[in-house]
Amino acid sequence: MSFADTGMVLDILRFSLHDGPGIRTTVFLKGCPLSCKWCHNPESQSYKPQLSFDSSKCTNCMECVVACPTNSLSSVNEKLRVNFNLCNACGDCVDACPRDAFKIYGKLWTVNDVISIVLKDHAYYKKSGGGLTVSGGEPMAQFEFTLELLEAAKTHNVHTCIETCGHAPTDRFAQLLNYVDLFLFDYKETDPDEHKLMTGVSNRLILENLNFLYNEKANIILRCPIIPGVNDTKSHLSGIHALTEKYPNLTAIEVLPYHSMGKGKAERIGLNFELSDIATTAPEQASQWLSKLKEYGCEEVRLG
Amino acid sequence: MAKLTDSNSAGEPEIAVQPTTYNSSDGAYTTELKFTETYKRFTDAHPAIREAMCLKAEYPSYFTAIRDDDLFAGRIKHGRVGFSMDEWGPTAFGYYCQPDEIMKAIEDGLVPPERKDAIMEMAAFWKHEDTSSKLRASYPKEMAEYLPSDDWMGSSGIAFPLYRLTGANVNFKELMVLGIPGLLRKIRDSRAKAVQSGGDHRLFEAMEIAVDVLVDVCKYYQKTAEQKAADVRITDSKRSAELLKIATTLEMITVSKPKTLREAIQLFWLYSLVGDIRNYGRMDVYLGDFYANDLRSGMLSEEEALKLLQSLWQLMADRNTRVHGRVIIGGMGRPNIESADKFALLAMEASRTVKEIEPQLSLRIYQGMNPELMEKALEVIGEGRTFPIIYNDDVNIPAVAKGFEVSISEAEQYVPFGCGEYIIDHKSFGTPSGVINLLKALEVTLHNGKDPLTEKVAGLALGEFKDFKDFEELWAAYKRQVEFFVDFMARQEELEYKVAGESAAFLFASMLYDDCMERGKAIFSGGIHCLGGTLETYGNTSAADSLTAIKQLVYEKKTVTPEELLAALDSNFVGHERIRKELRECPKYGNDDEAADDMLLRVHNHVCNYVRDQKKKTGLHSYSVVIINNSANTLMGHQTAASADGRLSKTFMNNGNAPSSGNDAEGLTAMLNSIVKPDPSIHAGAVQNMKFSKDLFVNKRPELKALLETYFEKGGTQAMITVVSKGDLEKAMQNPGNYRHIFVRVGGFSARFVELDRDVQLDILSRTLY
Repeated sequence: MSFADTGMVLDILRFSLHDGPGIRTTVFLKGCPLSCKWCHNPESQSYKPQLSFDSSKCTNCMECVVACPTNSLSSVNEKLRVNFNLCNACGDCVDACPRDAFKIYGKLWTVNDVISIVLKDHAYYKKSGGGLTVSGGEPMAQFEFTLELLEAAKTHNVHTCIETCGHAPTDRFAQLLNYVDLFLFDYKETDPDEHKLMTGVSNRLILENLNFLYNEKANIILRCPIIPGVNDTKSHLSGIHALTEKYPNLTAIEVLPYHSMGKGKAERIGLNFELSDIATTAPEQASQWLSKLKEYGCEEVRLG
Repeated sequence: MAKLTDSNSAGEPEIAVQPTTYNSSDGAYTTELKFTETYKRFTDAHPAIREAMCLKAEYPSYFTAIRDDDLFAGRIKHGRVGFSMDEWGPTAFGYYCQPDEIMKAIEDGLVPPERKDAIMEMAAFWKHEDTSSKLRASYPKEMAEYLPSDDWMGSSGIAFPLYRLTGANVNFKELMVLGIPGLLRKIRDSRAKAVQSGGDHRLFEAMEIAVDVLVDVCKYYQKTAEQKAADVRITDSKRSAELLKIATTLEMITVSKPKTLREAIQLFWLYSLVGDIRNYGRMDVYLGDFYANDLRSGMLSEEEALKLLQSLWQLMADRNTRVHGRVIIGGMGRPNIESADKFALLAMEASRTVKEIEPQLSLRIYQGMNPELMEKALEVIGEGRTFPIIYNDDVNIPAVAKGFEVSISEAEQYVPFGCGEYIIDHKSFGTPSGVINLLKALEVTLHNGKDPLTEKVAGLALGEFKDFKDFEELWAAYKRQVEFFVDFMARQEELEYKVAGESAAFLFASMLYDDCMERGKAIFSGGIHCLGGTLETYGNTSAADSLTAIKQLVYEKKTVTPEELLAALDSNFVGHERIRKELRECPKYGNDDEAADDMLLRVHNHVCNYVRDQKKKTGLHSYSVVIINNSANTLMGHQTAASADGRLSKTFMNNGNAPSSGNDAEGLTAMLNSIVKPDPSIHAGAVQNMKFSKDLFVNKRPELKALLETYFEKGGTQAMITVVSKGDLEKAMQNPGNYRHIFVRVGGFSARFVELDRDVQLDILSRTLY
């Protein structure tokens, strides 16, 4: 599949302050090669457009059932049922529903259309040291689109970040080097087998890419999601420390505390959410992780 | 004052129009009766003399006691009858009377029985003699027909007159330089000249009497303070000393010009009360030097000065002008930048610590100003104080110069008053004495001249909606409707000044307004340098968004017919939910969307330019639109049917130049990019409400500063910043559709609060403390 002209975009968030420095526009691309158990954006995993249904808004008026061309919708005991397997995300129910209970995640965008939105806030980027962040899903998975987007941004003198899980062929990272000012690089688990269990892939390629980028003197912020009971282990926290010893010139190390946002969203797109029992991390807990990391010798770590 | 009441930007009304408690000097209408008697006695006298004698009758009686914590004298409770340039109720200004309240007091048996007849007779006398009745009686026939109601808050209509002369910003600097003795000298000199040249010397005689009234007030309070000091000499020696200081200060200002900050504040404050001047102008200009001198001489420490200012702030808050109480600090055109900046910092600290709604502290900023001021401003705003309101001189000064057709150096003296209308300090007047509801104008046009809520004729019949061949025909009809009413409103404003000028001299304004003394004329009788006016427009964004939706759905996509749209609007969308959804999905102002923003500009340019052109049809120096913030968007919204932007019937319209609540869904930068588009040089003030999260202020200060700097560099005129509160988040949970603009931080990223699951919201709510 070629994405040269268009990309499957999940969302474009303007005035984004938490995906790189300054005031940014973050473009979220849809589709990811990993399937992390804790994923807070389960709607970003699939490469295809997806239907989301919020039952709390539904009054069972049946307008959508009438409108649906694929018979994915039915009413059982006065409650609407969605058969996500039949749904092709055509969006007819979105138009039909008077209460906005449906929405479609994912839409094809051209590079030009995305860039024209990104450029609207150019003055804010200049003043704040911000710019464009391409996030996901996994932007490396729509590589050509991502590359063109970043190239276009650089043509217009926009600072660029990419937020990546690191799982992509190394030569692609090599091609990006000239167009990315800052990599926000995920580091999820130290042990390769655990990594595979938690995310569906081994971390071998990810670590190779990190090593490659580091040696190419790329600016890298290491972002470490910490999930209670999953990877808040002594061995992983020590692993983070070991990595920072190995790569002393990382721009920063950030801890991203877990939150349970993904659960509701997963249900609305018809997925099971494995970590349904884990609560959002309390600030005190996050501070504890920070102290621990500091104990191990990670001085420069901060909350992301 | 467009706004008799203020509401938060979410639009909840607070209906509290009149002063709610009555506390005349003796509860038996003694002062009101005396005032009325005086007025009758001087009916045929020179209007200035009559006014002066009336002032003598009402003051100092309407002044009330010094309270325990006050460091200055000056609290007031106006009576049910009196004289004021500003308003004391929806139709009470100039010589005013509040007959409804008086009748209620009689019904409730609250007046002494032996006075009942005299009081009723008094109320009956004012029925035709008060200034607003005289004004209404002067309306030409057609104007009276199309402006049938004065009850803009409670009845349906396109336009309403307001009865008031509001927004006076007198020359307090001159008062500080002259003091009472100097002012008297100036009046006497002018009088001598008038006598010599055959001018109106009675005006100056009246001014002398008015100054006497001010002196009487000082003496009254001096005596009270001395008495109180004696009373507590043993029990509270500290307070006793403070009261003696108040007494001495009062005595000093009657015999010489103010020499200390304390004297300056005392003089300024009593003058503003006795003249019913509700906006306090460029305070750092007229108080800054006193503050700096006192610090230098060791007369005051910073802490002591802060205490004085805190006391003044509390007096202003308790005075409760509701929509006024502007104190301006900062900005270009100040001769004493260094001491003024020092004072400005103190004023912001006072606003940080005195947590009240007034004064409405307003900071003017410019390129190259002392950066400490902006730092301090952000600190105060970040605590959720909503003050200072920020004004951008770099944009506003050239805009005011162009809009008011004055020089740049004159424009440097612009001051916002009330809800955000500009005038030139002590040089121009621009009372907003009319309101027009642009959304209602569109609604009546779509219904061929009828108001769908009352089914009565409410405007011009310009054709059936279905017969308009294209959008341009509808647009032309809408324009004609608006213009028809603007003509009346401009003429009404002119009449208001005329009737006011014939009735009174408004002495306390005339004494300190350019060029009244020099010309020997009262402010509204040919004395003022620039007599302008303003018209408050409401529903600008709602009207523009409605027009955008009609253009797209009815005339371009043709998915909705005119008949279908009218049926949907008339039924408040019941049974037409699909149409409402389509309407809501059309582009909306505030999202940096060209189609929506262009329509707003069309609406804006049309009404602003047409209103400006009224100066050619009237004798006004300028007549300008103001797009301000208050509860009128809510109150008039309650009288406005469902609209084509998807808004439900009888709900609030947009506020000021802001997007309609919840419609700015693309984030702050998009919103700011939209609101800088309307041309600021064709109106006299527009307010920009914005709500920021606490997180942004606390944890993202550099980004916040960059955001605001960029906004101002792009042409942002003004910023009224609310730091989002827990209350807002709670309301957002109950009514998510209106709160899409609230962003919150959830762990490692941001989200729209309303899109979060309930449990996540509750979690955030439990953490977000205000």
